[in-house]
Amino acid sequence: MAENNTGIALLERDLAKLSRKPRLQAAVDNVDRIIEQLAAAREQIATALDPHTASLTVTRLQNPTKDAFEMVNENLKDVSSAQKKVFKAVNEHFPLKPLPADHDAMADHPALINRAIAMHLLREGQFSVASTFIEEAQDTPPHHALYQQLESEDTPSADQDEAMDDDDMDTDAQTSVTASTSDPTDLSSLHSQELQTKFAEMYSILQDLKSHNLRSAIDWARANSTELEARGSNLEFELSKLQYVWLFKGAAVNGLPDDERNGRSGALAYALQHFTRFRERHVREIEKLATAMAYAPNLADSPYKEVFSTDSAFTDVAASFTREFCSLLGLSAESPLYIAVTAGALALPRLIKYTMAKRAKGTEWTTDNELAFETPLPEKMVYHSIFVCPVAKEQTTESNPPMMIPCGHVLGKETLQKLCKGTRFKCPYCPSEGQLKDARQIIL
Amino acid sequence: MADHESSKINHDNHLLLDQPLLRLPCELLKKNFRAAHFTFEKDSTFVKNLLKETATASINGKTSPQDVVKNLDTMLTRMRGMKRKLESYSEEESSIYRQVDARVAHLKELSTMHTVEDIRYEAWSRQRLDRLVVDYMLRHGYNESAISLANERQMQDLVDIDTFVAMDKIRRSLENGSVTEALAWCSENKKALRNMGSNLEFMLRCQQFIEMMRMGKQLEAISHAKKHFIQFRDSYQQEVHQLAGLLAHRPDTELEPYKTWYSQERWNRIADIFVEAHNKLLGLPSFPLLHIALSSGLSALKTPACHSSQATSSSQPSHSTSLTTNVCPICSTELNELARNVPYAHHSKSHVEHDLLLLPNGRVYGKARLEEYAAKAGLQPGHCKDLVTGQMYTFDQLKKVFIT
Repeated sequence: MAENNTGIALLERDLAKLSRKPRLQAAVDNVDRIIEQLAAAREQIATALDPHTASLTVTRLQNPTKDAFEMVNENLKDVSSAQKKVFKAVNEHFPLKPLPADHDAMADHPALINRAIAMHLLREGQFSVASTFIEEAQDTPPHHALYQQLESEDTPSADQDEAMDDDDMDTDAQTSVTASTSDPTDLSSLHSQELQTKFAEMYSILQDLKSHNLRSAIDWARANSTELEARGSNLEFELSKLQYVWLFKGAAVNGLPDDERNGRSGALAYALQHFTRFRERHVREIEKLATAMAYAPNLADSPYKEVFSTDSAFTDVAASFTREFCSLLGLSAESPLYIAVTAGALALPRLIKYTMAKRAKGTEWTTDNELAFETPLPEKMVYHSIFVCPVAKEQTTESNPPMMIPCGHVLGKETLQKLCKGTRFKCPYCPSEGQLKDARQIIL
Repeated sequence: MADHESSKINHDNHLLLDQPLLRLPCELLKKNFRAAHFTFEKDSTFVKNLLKETATASINGKTSPQDVVKNLDTMLTRMRGMKRKLESYSEEESSIYRQVDARVAHLKELSTMHTVEDIRYEAWSRQRLDRLVVDYMLRHGYNESAISLANERQMQDLVDIDTFVAMDKIRRSLENGSVTEALAWCSENKKALRNMGSNLEFMLRCQQFIEMMRMGKQLEAISHAKKHFIQFRDSYQQEVHQLAGLLAHRPDTELEPYKTWYSQERWNRIADIFVEAHNKLLGLPSFPLLHIALSSGLSALKTPACHSSQATSSSQPSHSTSLTTNVCPICSTELNELARNVPYAHHSKSHVEHDLLLLPNGRVYGKARLEEYAAKAGLQPGHCKDLVTGQMYTFDQLKKVFIT
């Protein structure tokens, strides 16, 4: 697609063409001229102070002043017509499209949105903005009155809310940071600085990584090694490996003091001291790192070239570090607010199209729990496996879980029950038959 | 379902949330011009008339030269005042045009990107989020936060701090029981408010009347009513009658509708009416754009698993090279509660990892992920480990799963 064909590109072109010269400044200049005329006449009369000069001067002043006012008027007309051209260009190339305006599902939960914003600011490292925000939000709780009208129209979802409250506690308890946050709408727990301290630690470590200092990251990984290993993360080893490689490269590359703790001897000493704890799990990689010593003079041509390339190594470990750090806090690596708003912008056209169509037909939403239309998102925004029962064409849920039948095919539980004749059923996808008792629920 | 097509940026529809970005400056330009024009009309008429009168009187010998000088001084003062005002409108105009340029440039950046995979898209989308957050803060009156975020991100030209701070000032004055600021705003926007059919001015006049009654100033209230209610008599007949009835009731009355008229809650309602009129007048959406983005985004991302009590086997994208769990944004603490209130996304096709294997405990993982995890965990060959529960199995215990 030609990038110059988008509405905005055309708008920019038109605005540039519109040399918006006619501005109010021209009127100001002409007003200045009138002031000069008046002032000059005043001086003349004040100096002479004779009736004849006065009447002559003030009479002569009439026409030039009138003309000058007329010019100001013209200036204003020009300003107005220039503006109209701007408005026209905006309307033409950036035509107004309606936004969903009748139903604001978020309006009932300003406190939850405030919390999401506060956590977003903290995770972005905007500590001072976050602290101002938390204070302001606590001083002036969200304007409930503003939303009351909408709230009353929205009672069904509130009911559903309460019904599901019990599950809440389980999910909350899993996350370490929020375990202390019993009331999710309470911002004070964020202000208690626990989260801020955590993120401050994360940023200080990331800062170190940026300046190629691995010490703080390694310390953190070691302190959390049990959790990290349980998650199948090799972060500690990856960091230690990079430390070895970095030392190995010597003072010329890493800029550290050229002593016995740097260079190949430094790397070897580091390996002897730290690699034993990884011996069991990473023996082959450690062997590789050790053998590389033999190729030291000419690593670039050796089979170990890859292992010793540090071009993107620090950015890579920084990314894995961020991911692990957030995961241990029970948080996603990228700001959920960012992902949600980006996904929202991507899904919005569909949402609007659908709402319009629904309104035109005068029908209501048929399902409360599920959107009635697809909102395709890029692959990287799909976080869970989705299983759609191939017979019922419905997503499986907790109450209608996926069931695997003996031949290995998977169906929704409800579908399976419908397929059953007595206790037996035939697989819709292959010739095999099975018994209901042999079907088992699976967790995708 | 996720495919290549869904990563494409649809330029016609990607800027729905960004419409006020250019609409508002246009409205502000109009408003600014109207004010400039009004000033000019008023002051120039005055000066022209005075000049004409002075000339005539001077020719007729009715005015002394001293008085001519005095009149000229009056004209000069008036003109200098006009110049000052026009200068400030001119500055405002320049700053609005500067905003328009900055905003068009910001929106144009998107035109050069074709897919959301473009690394520049993330930076752009983050800036959009910052804009939406600032808009949200401003609408809630969290002005200091909004200003500091805008400064921090250096995007003052992309957000409408002045407009909303001015609005917030009037809103707060109403909440604190003062109508002065709101009435001044009404008279600035008289014509537009009338065209909109807004009842704001009437409500403010009513409130003034009610406050006079509350203070026990019946006579003042009656003359206020005579002066201001006449023009509203036809459009708000019922209310005017009720207010007349209010004259017979003291503030502590239990009788409706008078009790409601005396209620302090009315101030908050008037503040809401003002905000509504203000936003409508400037073509601003009635609620924060962040709400629209969030409700759409939360639904699009949400799956039945996000509020399930059971941890699923696939809390991460199947294509991810990382083994470790990447927490889903809806499952993450920040949004989990908020997302409870929206429907989940609709999918018509399954989206699962390749070569699924069933563990004896009922959990299903992709073969590649199990193998990678086993390797990283340094397991004996042929062994594997559940990524969520940590249970150990051998590969020959696993069964193939077929997803159709």
